[in-house]
Amino acid sequence: MNFKKILTIYKKEMLDILRDKRTVLSAIVVPIILYPLLIIGMSSLMSRQEQKIENQSATIYIDNQVKDNNSAKITEALASAKNIQIMNEVDDPFALLDENLVKAVLTISDSISDTGYQIIKVKISYNASDEKATSLFSQINKVIQEVKDDIVGERLKEINIASDILNAVEVLEDNVAPPEQMFGFFIGKILPYLLIMMIISSGAVVASDLVAGEKERGTLETILVSAAYRNELVFGKYLTIITISFITIFLNLFSMYISIQHMLSQSGLELENVDLPIGNFALILVAMLPLVTLIAAILLSISTFSRNIKEAQSYQMPLMLVGMMAAMISMFPAFELNVGMALIPIVNIALLFKDIMMNNFNLNLFLIVVGSTLFLDLIAIYFSVNLFNNESILFRTSDEKSLKFWGKGSKNVFSEQFMTLYFIAILVIFYYIGSRWQMENITMGLIKSQLIIIALPVLLILRFSKSDIKKSLRLQNTNVKNYFVPILASIPVVIVAAIISQVINLIYPFPESYLENLQKIINMSDFPLWKNILIIAVLPAICEELMFRGFIIRGFEKRGFWNAIIITAFLFAVLHLDPFRFIPVGLLGIWMGYLLLKTGSIFVPMLAHALNNTLAVLLSRDYIPFIGKIAEDGELPYWSIIPALIIIYVIYLWVEKINLKIERGE
Amino acid sequence: MIEVKNLTKSFKQKNGEVFNAVDDVSFIAHKGEIVVLLGVNGAGKTTTMRMLSTVLKPNSGTAIIEGNDVLLQPQKVRANLGFLSGDTGLYARLTGREIITYFGRLYDVDDVTIKNRIKNLSELLDMNDFLDKKIDMLSTGMKQKVSIARSIIHDPPVMIFDEPTSGLDILTAKNIIDFIHKCKDDGKCVLFSTHIMREAERIADKIVMIHKGSILAEGSWKELQEQTGKRDLDDIFIHFVDQQKESEGAADEF
Repeated sequence: MNFKKILTIYKKEMLDILRDKRTVLSAIVVPIILYPLLIIGMSSLMSRQEQKIENQSATIYIDNQVKDNNSAKITEALASAKNIQIMNEVDDPFALLDENLVKAVLTISDSISDTGYQIIKVKISYNASDEKATSLFSQINKVIQEVKDDIVGERLKEINIASDILNAVEVLEDNVAPPEQMFGFFIGKILPYLLIMMIISSGAVVASDLVAGEKERGTLETILVSAAYRNELVFGKYLTIITISFITIFLNLFSMYISIQHMLSQSGLELENVDLPIGNFALILVAMLPLVTLIAAILLSISTFSRNIKEAQSYQMPLMLVGMMAAMISMFPAFELNVGMALIPIVNIALLFKDIMMNNFNLNLFLIVVGSTLFLDLIAIYFSVNLFNNESILFRTSDEKSLKFWGKGSKNVFSEQFMTLYFIAILVIFYYIGSRWQMENITMGLIKSQLIIIALPVLLILRFSKSDIKKSLRLQNTNVKNYFVPILASIPVVIVAAIISQVINLIYPFPESYLENLQKIINMSDFPLWKNILIIAVLPAICEELMFRGFIIRGFEKRGFWNAIIITAFLFAVLHLDPFRFIPVGLLGIWMGYLLLKTGSIFVPMLAHALNNTLAVLLSRDYIPFIGKIAEDGELPYWSIIPALIIIYVIYLWVEKINLKIERGE
Repeated sequence: MIEVKNLTKSFKQKNGEVFNAVDDVSFIAHKGEIVVLLGVNGAGKTTTMRMLSTVLKPNSGTAIIEGNDVLLQPQKVRANLGFLSGDTGLYARLTGREIITYFGRLYDVDDVTIKNRIKNLSELLDMNDFLDKKIDMLSTGMKQKVSIARSIIHDPPVMIFDEPTSGLDILTAKNIIDFIHKCKDDGKCVLFSTHIMREAERIADKIVMIHKGSILAEGSWKELQEQTGKRDLDDIFIHFVDQQKESEGAADEF
């Protein structure tokens, strides 16, 4: 790799990009001009609107059913209050309230307390979705509070008690947050979201042009036959995306800084003397760099993979959506940056921002965020270079795949295309209908979704496509020894899955409520054990194995032994709709897929599935004392994974041996 | 010099079948010689040339260009090669001079040499008027001239032209044909692909006929005429295609 050549490519790309009006507009002009206009315009509009609401007078109606001295005090106080007009007798005040002609209707009644004092009750009817009415409500409340203090004072005076007897406890508010921090708190929530979206959108425009655009215009081949190395081309283009993204965020931060300062000076918030922490803005810029590079590498891969700009843009959409959701996390108060969160790309930067803006800077977390992002970055660049060396991707012709992919193959039920569509359909049905059934009645819901959503469609599809059901689903016998495999492996497999769950729990702690829920589902304590095992273990083992190891895996077997197993296991884990159990469920899926393809019988993975779930039930009911003994506080010691893995390995060797003999026909 | 040795390339089609785009192709193109790869659309000409330019990797066989193996030293092969095809695009927002300079630098030519060569090429191809205009503003013929200059800026000993005249009018096509003759006169080795028989008749020192991925026949026009007893290249080509069909039919009977 020659740095001079990278620089040549980089310079040419920059020149080309900067001559493109679209890019210049979106990356440079918009932040410089539109942004300040937007922020300043909005803030002045908002403060004007607020003032308008305050100054507008509102009409209220008072239905005074008491008409004594005390209630009259309330009416008088309201009559003299600023911006409140009281309407005279009307027939139906609530109709006027509905029509928004009066903003509030007050109904005054009274009762007598246990000790014989009068209690005046004021019911305030108003529409809380109306901003004006809401502010009126608090104004009325304040006025009545004053009248109340007045009346209480009189009553105390009657019995010769000084009214300061009521001031037994006084609350003094002292907000110690320095103004910068208050400010950072607001900004820290929105800023990361805005910036992350900007990195993606500005990078996306450039990236789609850089490779997919070259394919579209027929210039890619000319640089591929030039003397430049592939990785020089990748790096030159990669640096271009980074530069444009970085210019965009720099200009955005800069113009935002100026705009916000301008906004503060006009806002009337008690922040006039706040110096905007420019150091923090600089720190954000530094923290942004790894994210910018990561996103640039991903965008470059997308662009390389795509046939034309349009296709690149449609592949960028999911990235945009994921980025948007991840960036939004910073807006939720519950999420804080910790070691676990620092490993999740985009989310970590969003949370880091929030911390930086609130002056909670932690160097270790900062380094983890930067390090983990750079690590992913390297993977993404490596991937881009590989794509660039892949001739079938560089020379994909325009109309080859996208149309035919869904056309031809989908008529065959055992094709990847059909399986993908089928799986998505089941996933959607399971999410919308299955989970509803389970909400209504957990037991019946589980049974119904297993039978109707998971198992039934498989049988119907095979029936209607006139396939041999028995053969397709591998409903066939195998060597008797094979049935001992899942039995012997069941406990080690459960241990491995449990340890993995524990590790995940350590990094991303499961919420308490989640564990309780899971426990409730597995351990149906009002049922006898056999019923519990039937519903939780046997039924899912049969139905889910029919769907995944029986049917879905058929669509992917052309991809080879392990690919078929892994893809099926992945889909199996997705259907469980549970991010916390994704990895252990996926690993179980791999184990069961392996058993299927090795033994050639679906009954073996069914047995394994049933045993695994049975063990979960037994564990939740504390029926397995010896595991309970080695586990402290419900956690298995980590070392137990070693003997478990050794046992699984021995079993694996045994399976290979048995089935090799079968294949040889011995 | 180009030495093509048993070059084979197959693609997997969507229906899973393997399609042999180029099947065991061998030929030699010498210095100062124009070799025409002649065949109908889809015969395997572009695939062959893409393998020579190292953007596609052969499944088996190889080619040696100026002593460098396309499989082992793709970098050196590309450095010794000028490549021009009918559908290569140019960067619309750059000027001709910028594009030619860019490619010169990609080929490690120093800036002074690039400047001199651009000056010479500009005279030769009559590009002075539009060399500093953006490609967007140029006509097809002007663009073609820029493309020619781009492909030869590093003065490579071997030039590969993949249907460079397709879609061009006679005058623009003539520019290219003249340029190819100039390359020959400069002692370069030229490989030229086309499906137009008349073009082959006009410029070829040697014709390599390729059909369905395999070589039908090879030789100068004269040699091919003698071999078949036919005059026009059209008739000669059809003669060989028929011959191939017959031998395939014979093979099927076995």
